[in-house]
Amino acid sequence: MSQINYRTINVDQLDPESSVNFPMETLLPATLPQPETSSDAANIANQVRQLLRGGDAEGALRTALDTAPLGGDDRAKEVHLATVIEVLQGIRQAEMARVLEGVCGADGGAERADCLMKYIYKGMSSSSGPGGAKSAKSVSPQSTGGFSQIQGRNLGEGGGGQQMSVLLNWHEKLVDLTGTGSIVRVMTDRRTV
Amino acid sequence: MAAPQVHHLFHSPIADHSFSSDKQTLAVARENNVELYQSSGNKFTLSDELKGHEKTVTSVDIAPNSGRIVTCSQDRNAYVWEQTPSGWKPTLVLLRINRAATFVRWSPSEQKFAVGSGARLISVCYFEEENDWWISKHLKKPIRSTITTLAWHPNSVLLAAGSTDSHARVFSSFIKGIDTRPEPSAWGERLPFNTICGEFLNDSAGWIQGVAFSPSGNALAFTGHDSSVTVVYPSAPEQPPRAMLNISTRLLPLNSLIWNGENEIIAAGHDCEPFRFSGDENGWQLVGSLENKDSGAGGAREESALNMFRQMDLKGQTQVDTKLKSTHQNTVNTVRAFDETNGQVSSFSTSGVDGRVVVWTI
Repeated sequence: MSQINYRTINVDQLDPESSVNFPMETLLPATLPQPETSSDAANIANQVRQLLRGGDAEGALRTALDTAPLGGDDRAKEVHLATVIEVLQGIRQAEMARVLEGVCGADGGAERADCLMKYIYKGMSSSSGPGGAKSAKSVSPQSTGGFSQIQGRNLGEGGGGQQMSVLLNWHEKLVDLTGTGSIVRVMTDRRTV
Repeated sequence: MAAPQVHHLFHSPIADHSFSSDKQTLAVARENNVELYQSSGNKFTLSDELKGHEKTVTSVDIAPNSGRIVTCSQDRNAYVWEQTPSGWKPTLVLLRINRAATFVRWSPSEQKFAVGSGARLISVCYFEEENDWWISKHLKKPIRSTITTLAWHPNSVLLAAGSTDSHARVFSSFIKGIDTRPEPSAWGERLPFNTICGEFLNDSAGWIQGVAFSPSGNALAFTGHDSSVTVVYPSAPEQPPRAMLNISTRLLPLNSLIWNGENEIIAAGHDCEPFRFSGDENGWQLVGSLENKDSGAGGAREESALNMFRQMDLKGQTQVDTKLKSTHQNTVNTVRAFDETNGQVSSFSTSGVDGRVVVWTI
C-alpha cells in the first residue's frame, strides 16, 4: 500500500454519489422545444431560402432564429447552422443594422439576439471553406459533452476567411445592440445550437 | 445622492466584508485571516486580526446583536469568534465536509448559521448547550454541485441557496428546540428539516452567484453568470410560482444583490459598479447605474497641457487609460445593506477584488 501515490487517486470516482456522473439533462430548462430531425431542419431551410429570395431578409433571419433546433440532434443543428450562415451572408453590410434592429427590437427580440450570438460563435468555430459547417465535423474537435459551445478554432483557407469576416461584422453590430451580456450568455446557456 | 465613501484598505482581493451593527467595526476577509478595522473619523484603521484558518477565508459575517463573528475557509473549517477580555476567542465548528467551505451567514435569529460548501451540501449549524459545542446538520438532497451563495428568510427557518448546478433553491432548515414553528407562507405550511420549498432554473442557466429574499420574504431574487437577474413570486406550497421574471441585461455578470423594499433590487458584479433594478410582479427592468460618473472619484480629470506632456514623456501616451471610471477598480464580490429600516435601504456597502470597501448612499 505504501507504493500508492495518494495524490493521484481520483477520489470522485470512489464516491458512490460521484459528480463524475453529473446528469447534464437536469440543467436544461423545461421550456426546451421538441426534438427536431435533420429533415425538419431542411424543410425550414427551404422556407427561409424562399423568404430570402423574395427580398425579405428580415423575415428570413427571424424565421431562422425562431426555429432554431435547440432540442434537436447534431445533424439537425448542423443543417440549421448552414441555413443561418447563408442568411447572414445574403444580407448586405449596409442593411445589417436595419435588419438587426427589426429582428432584435420586437417582442422576444432579446431571445433572438442571444440565439444569433450563439450562431455567430458556432459559425466562427466551425467555418472551413465554401462548404461552411457541413465539412466541419471532420476537422474541428468534438465539443465536450455539450458543456461549451466554443470549440477549437479552425481558420480555413479560401471561402472560410470571407465567411469569418461576415460573421465578425455581424458580431460587431450585434454587440452594439445587446452588449457583452449576450456573449456571456453564449457561454452559460445549455440550450446549444 | 451623496458621493460614496471609499475605504481603500489594501491591494489584495476582499472575498467578503461585514460591518458590526454600530458600524464601528468592519471585518474583512483577506487571504488566510480576517482583519478587523475600527472606524476613526472617516477612516478605518486596522485594529485586530483573527488568525486560525489555514487556507483562504471565503466568507465572514458579524451577528448584529450578539457581535459574534463567524468565518469559513477553504480549509473546510468554520470558526465562531467571541470577544473576551483577552481578545477574540475562536470556537471550531464541526462542519463534516470534505471540500472547501464557500459561504457563511447568520440567521436573523442568530441562533443558527448556514455554511455552503463544495461538498454539495449546506451545513446548518447551531449551538448545543449540553455538549457545549456547535454542531451541524446537513442539507443535501437535490444539490448537485458547489453552493456559491446563501440567504436567510426573515423567519430564520427558510434558507435560499445558489449553486453551480445553475439552480436556486429554497430549503427549510427547521431545527427542533432551536426554532419556533414558522407562520405558514406561500413557501410552505409544514416545514420539517430539508423540505424543498422551491427549485428554480433560468433558461440561460448560469452559475448562481447571488440570492436574496425580499424584506417580506415573499419573493426571491437571484443572479447568475448569465448576466441576468431573476425574481420569483411563489404562489402556494407544491405549486409552480405565481410569476418568475427574468431580466437579461447587456452587462457583465452580477455577483451579489440586495433588496431595497419590495420593488427595488441593487446588484453589482463584474462591471465594477452597482446597478438598480425596479419592478413588481408584472415586470422588472434595469433602471441604471448608481454611479455618478461625471463627478466620480475615478472620473476623467481636467487634462492640463503639462499633464499631457508628462504622460507622453513617462508612458508614451497622452492619457492614463488604466483607470476605470467607476469607484471600484475591479469586480465587486459582495453587496450588503449598510443602513436599513423596515426593509428600506438608505445606504449599502460593496467590496471587491480591488481591496476597496465602498459605502453608497441612495
